[in-house]
Amino acid sequence: MLIETRDLWKTYVMGTETVHALRGVSIQVERGEYLAIMGPSGSGKSTLMNLIGCLDTASRGEYILNDRAVSGMNDDELAFVRNKEIGFVFQTFNLLPRATALHNVELPLIYNGTGAKERLEGAKAALSAVDLADRMNHKPNELSGGQRQRVAIARALVNNPSIILADEPTGNLDTATSEEIMDVFEKLHERGNTVIVVTHEQDIADCTQRIIYLRDGAVEKEVVK
Amino acid sequence: MHQVFESIKIALASLIANKLRAILTLLGMVIGVMTVIAVVSVINGMNKSVSEAIGQLGSTTFIIDKYGLVTSEEQWFKVRKRKDLTKRDMAAIDENCEYCQHVGASSFDRSMTIKRGSDKIGGTIVKGVTYNYIEIATTDIERGRSFTESDELHRRSVCVVGPDVAENLFPYTDPIGQKLKIGKYYFTIIGVGKPQGSILGVNQDNWAITPLSTYSKYFSRGGSIQIFVKAVEYTKMDEAMDEARAILRARRHVKYSEPDDFEFFTSESMMEIYNSFTQGAWLVLIGVSSISLVVGGIVIMNIMLVSVTERTREVGIRKALGARRKDILWQFLIEALTLSIIGGLIGIGFGSAIAKIIATSTPLPSSVETWSIVTGVLISSVIGIFFGIYPAMKAARMDPIDALRYE
Repeated sequence: MLIETRDLWKTYVMGTETVHALRGVSIQVERGEYLAIMGPSGSGKSTLMNLIGCLDTASRGEYILNDRAVSGMNDDELAFVRNKEIGFVFQTFNLLPRATALHNVELPLIYNGTGAKERLEGAKAALSAVDLADRMNHKPNELSGGQRQRVAIARALVNNPSIILADEPTGNLDTATSEEIMDVFEKLHERGNTVIVVTHEQDIADCTQRIIYLRDGAVEKEVVK
Repeated sequence: MHQVFESIKIALASLIANKLRAILTLLGMVIGVMTVIAVVSVINGMNKSVSEAIGQLGSTTFIIDKYGLVTSEEQWFKVRKRKDLTKRDMAAIDENCEYCQHVGASSFDRSMTIKRGSDKIGGTIVKGVTYNYIEIATTDIERGRSFTESDELHRRSVCVVGPDVAENLFPYTDPIGQKLKIGKYYFTIIGVGKPQGSILGVNQDNWAITPLSTYSKYFSRGGSIQIFVKAVEYTKMDEAMDEARAILRARRHVKYSEPDDFEFFTSESMMEIYNSFTQGAWLVLIGVSSISLVVGGIVIMNIMLVSVTERTREVGIRKALGARRKDILWQFLIEALTLSIIGGLIGIGFGSAIAKIIATSTPLPSSVETWSIVTGVLISSVIGIFFGIYPAMKAARMDPIDALRYE
């Protein structure tokens, strides 16, 4: 089992009110799975993604990632897990605007202390994997939306993480480009990567093998194809 | 290590990206370091030229003076009543002091006008000295000769003059053997001293000395003298001073319970006096000029706070990709350090240039020392760290989720 959450709660206190963003979510993900987490806005899917992505810790419940209990880790331990286990792909790409594609892809390797030569080779290989080898010295503003998202995917891949976690990866892209990006995820899955896509679009979710529907902070249903 | 290079690269890139902002940010630091370096260099230069001047006395020579250092009116009234030091005191020390190699004396000096026909030079420092004074006080004679015992014995009207006197009154002829008029009396020039330039804007070359006996005859009947003693060697200074003290106390009938009614000066004690007078002033001067350094630091802190806020999203991205708190802390700290050190280096350059300009265009000396440059770099680094740590910590503590959502 790659991911196992047991009765995950996330509670925010806003002034005098307590808001339960997650109310006891228990899910399991096997290595090599390709799945989607779906739900309308306010369903808690972003919160669940933040927890799975180790950007945040749960108020209650347990999260075991790759045999490691993540709940209760401090900031720096979480940073270490994010670097090693998670590859993020965001809706807004989140590339550093002043850095070249190559440098953007190198970033995760910088933070785990990879040497300069290996770093360069690794980043080049990751960019080749998303067919951007010829664009690696371009800055994000010199690339199209689809190309930017592929740079982001290359950055997510470069460290060989356990999970590729994509948050609305096609939200800022047109239909044709969206298909192109979903093809990339499909290929990554075929190569054995675990891919989790968080989305509110049914046709994007339909590209995956399994869909977990969230509503009001809890799992509503699961559909396996 | 590559994270350090990475951070320096980021810092330089953001400097280049915001050129005007970078210049304004650096300006504060540049002005601060420049002021401090210029001030410190001038202070250095003054200390150096004073210590050179005092050092001319030589490390084995001490002076016995009736008054010593007078710092208050009350003290002046007290020391005024002391007995004069006389030639007999000098002779007694010469005779009885075992560790004293040479004993000489000089009168107190007077500022006078020297004439040759219709040419004249004013403000000349005139004093009478014993024949061996020139050797004791290490005044170098460039041309001609020094006094002899016989000049003094016969109260000859001869003088040794400073190079300014010689040049002004005898621009075209050899001054040796020529006559000039000091006050109302004619003197024959037998020697000319070596030029020494000026110390703190005070000309050191406009002087004339005569034998002490001649000087007493014409200019100051009676009056105290200063006794110059050269000890046999540096290590015997204390012994020589003790001997001279015992001799003088006996001659002047000072009771054992009373303090000396005369004072000693050595080059060391004069340096101490100079330092005690000037140190406080230097500290204030450096302190005041350091205020601009603090201002420079505040400017850097301000720009770093802006930079951290502007790059909130970047911090979020970096954290999502695995940057730990200390990685972010270092990134921004190194950026602040890069700013302050670049500013510091430019400031050192300008400050040294200003110090040079001051030295060449005003009577103030200046001396740019390696240690002040090293200190300049150190101070700007410390300021970079001090004022950079808060913005860097602010960035390091950011929550990755909030930072990623920041618009």
